[in-house]
Amino acid sequence: MKNKIYISIITILAVLLQPSCKDLNIDPLNVIQDKDVFATEAGVKGYLATIYRALPIEDFYYRQEGSGFNRQWEHFYHPGALCGELVGPYGSTYDGAGGFGYWPYGDIRTVNYFIGNLPVYGTGFSKEQVDAWLGEAYFCRAYFYFALAKRYGGIPIIRKVQHYPEQSLEELQVHRDKEVDVWNFISDDLDSAYNKMPAASERGRANRYVAAALKSRAMVYAGSIAKYGSENFVAGAARDQGYVGIPAAAAAGFFQRAWDAAKLLEGHYSLYRKKTDKELNYADLFLDKESTENILVRDYSLTTGTAHSWDATMTCRFMTADGLSRAYPTLELVERFTGLLPVVNADGTPRRFDNTSQLAQGLEPRLLATIYFPGATLRGKQFDMQRGIYEHFAGTAADELGQNPPNRQFRHLAGKTETLFNGMRIIGFTGISTDGDDLSRTGFYIRKYVDYNRAQSQCGLYMSTQSWIDMRYAEVLLNRAEAAFELNNIVDARNMINDIRDRAGAPLLTGTFTIDTVRNERCKELAFEKQYWWDLRRWRIADRLLDNTKYHAMMPYYIADEQKYIFLREFEPFQRSYNFEKKYYYEPIPGGELGKNPNLYPNNPNH
Amino acid sequence: MQKIIKGLFVLLTAMMVSSCTKEDNFDGPNAAFKGRLLDNDSKENFLTETGGVQIKLEELSWSATPTPQYIPSKSDGTFEDTKLFSGHYRVTPVNGAFWPVEGIEMDINGTATQDFTLTPYLRITQFTHELQGTTLIMRFKLSAPVETGLPRILDVKPFVNTSEYVGSGATISQYTDPNKIDINSSWSADIAAKTYEIQVPNLKTTRTFYARVGVRVDDSFKQFNYSQIIEVKVP
Repeated sequence: MKNKIYISIITILAVLLQPSCKDLNIDPLNVIQDKDVFATEAGVKGYLATIYRALPIEDFYYRQEGSGFNRQWEHFYHPGALCGELVGPYGSTYDGAGGFGYWPYGDIRTVNYFIGNLPVYGTGFSKEQVDAWLGEAYFCRAYFYFALAKRYGGIPIIRKVQHYPEQSLEELQVHRDKEVDVWNFISDDLDSAYNKMPAASERGRANRYVAAALKSRAMVYAGSIAKYGSENFVAGAARDQGYVGIPAAAAAGFFQRAWDAAKLLEGHYSLYRKKTDKELNYADLFLDKESTENILVRDYSLTTGTAHSWDATMTCRFMTADGLSRAYPTLELVERFTGLLPVVNADGTPRRFDNTSQLAQGLEPRLLATIYFPGATLRGKQFDMQRGIYEHFAGTAADELGQNPPNRQFRHLAGKTETLFNGMRIIGFTGISTDGDDLSRTGFYIRKYVDYNRAQSQCGLYMSTQSWIDMRYAEVLLNRAEAAFELNNIVDARNMINDIRDRAGAPLLTGTFTIDTVRNERCKELAFEKQYWWDLRRWRIADRLLDNTKYHAMMPYYIADEQKYIFLREFEPFQRSYNFEKKYYYEPIPGGELGKNPNLYPNNPNH
Repeated sequence: MQKIIKGLFVLLTAMMVSSCTKEDNFDGPNAAFKGRLLDNDSKENFLTETGGVQIKLEELSWSATPTPQYIPSKSDGTFEDTKLFSGHYRVTPVNGAFWPVEGIEMDINGTATQDFTLTPYLRITQFTHELQGTTLIMRFKLSAPVETGLPRILDVKPFVNTSEYVGSGATISQYTDPNKIDINSSWSADIAAKTYEIQVPNLKTTRTFYARVGVRVDDSFKQFNYSQIIEVKVP
């Protein structure tokens, strides 16, 4: 009996064991496999979406320090507030000059994995389709490296996925590459992207012209770093070894590539000219999703939880439902458009105005569409801007701004709108207060990208859905104008600038002009688009413009006994001074990375 | 139940108190490093301001590429740090208005002393001043100890403060920026021959001010070479 039981157990076990050693090596069903991702269209699209999501687009959310590309609501931590485009919450330039240690090699690995594996598993797709996707991957990789190169100069170029522990530590601890090699690598990747991709793409994704647009931007950066960085630099080991700095002789080549790339877009995009009213047209250019000028955009929506807070944080609560504003255009930016505003008479006395909105009369439509002036209207409310009241004002503006102001005893300022003088409000509902900074400090507010059609009740935090235009045709024209001027092609530079000026409603450029004219046009056209910080750096003029510099406000006062208004060109109330040290032409390599990989030394000069 | 919980808390507290009795067997920061910065010509203290020069310390005992620490100069051209860890350091004066110098490797134990001789980019010479009413007038010439390779000269500025700590980081800005002289040119015989005059008008009466002038060149750091400090009593 016992034997029988034993035998039957052994038999059953033997039968059971027989098939079990066959196919233990099967893929787990709860982990998505490469073949599932790279062999299906939905898989590839999903994978690419991850990459696009991580793309370092400096959109509404971007700040030059702290949370970097992460999403939070305080859009007034704007890079322009570090360098005189705006005055804002930053105490000084140092708050953001060192960056936040951006180091996206994880994302670059994701791209490299895609480039390596799509041709292996994607054999079921047509060659054109595989090429188009690979082109997008090359575009994204170039985008990441561009974001690195403009911060750190030369960084390691990783072309293929690294493997650990298969590869030794020595292989994995890569060295920095020379800065010039990184820029050339970016250029090559964008050429690959251009050659592989078709001419059209889904909204928010790259096509060959998007790659060309990015190339024009990157190459004009490289050219100016080569040209101006070889004159204005910080000495150090990293520079001696070529990790930062590009030989001046390479400048012309980079500018030529920028020009060539920009030229490719001709005829495929155009400046937005849908409306005849130039001010309205320029304001709508940033709000019309169908703009012919948009090259690469990023969209936001309430349903995906990506909506931003631009409307709630660029103008004050007088116009919005929630949030607050803390960053305001400087008078210096306004004067890039207008020169000194006509607020002083020939005899030096302040010009008398019947109301504050007269200041904006006759100004360039583009300026008025970029910045809200006193008296402008938003959502049915006027920008009510008043710094204070003078009971009486005699003498010149210069005396009043000097060290012994003669009318000071007649002046009344206030912190709150409810403070009255003889029954009159001392300050306006939109500024300028002596307390805090949630009303304008300069007399101006940002208008660009503000959705004036949105009801006030809809202007809360995380409720705005206008797209960020990462690249638009006007920037490509400006890249081309700058490259053309640097290459002594003055005629082409003038044509590009005049195309932009015509759309802007600005007087056309005639006669001779300098590189400063070209640059100033860029600063005006791209104001608040998070380009100014990088432009000042790559032109190597930041240390001259930001040399313990204080910025100005245009302060409107009511003169009680005359019942008129005057404007005084004063320092902005916080009187913050902005200073740029030359070492910040490159950010320091992040300390954590230096700790992991000693081959990243030498760090950038003086860091 | 309550008693058990209380008892456990008492036990826990007793254990936590008694568990950390082991002593830290590394020395604290018990070393000091000090010295003077000297002008190569006069052998007097280098004319600078608080933080106008930094002494870079790289502790080589543990790593060839340490994160540097810095000792800022005092306003009299000396420096001192009394809270350093003993070890082997490379020390280099940096971030000031002088021709770059090589670092020195040295052991810092107890109180180490090391002076550095620096060659300024520019010197302010024949410095005189007078007070006319409430306007301070300062006159001076510039001289360059080394002319070849001297970076472009940017500007000269007056610095005025109510204490003897006066320099670019400690000045009354209304007296400084409006009264500066922009030079923006390379070193030349013209600059060497010229007598510069800086006026600081509208000084407040019945106050005592301390003033000096500074000149800077477009090097990596853009720090100032200074004159001596003068005391000005405005009647």
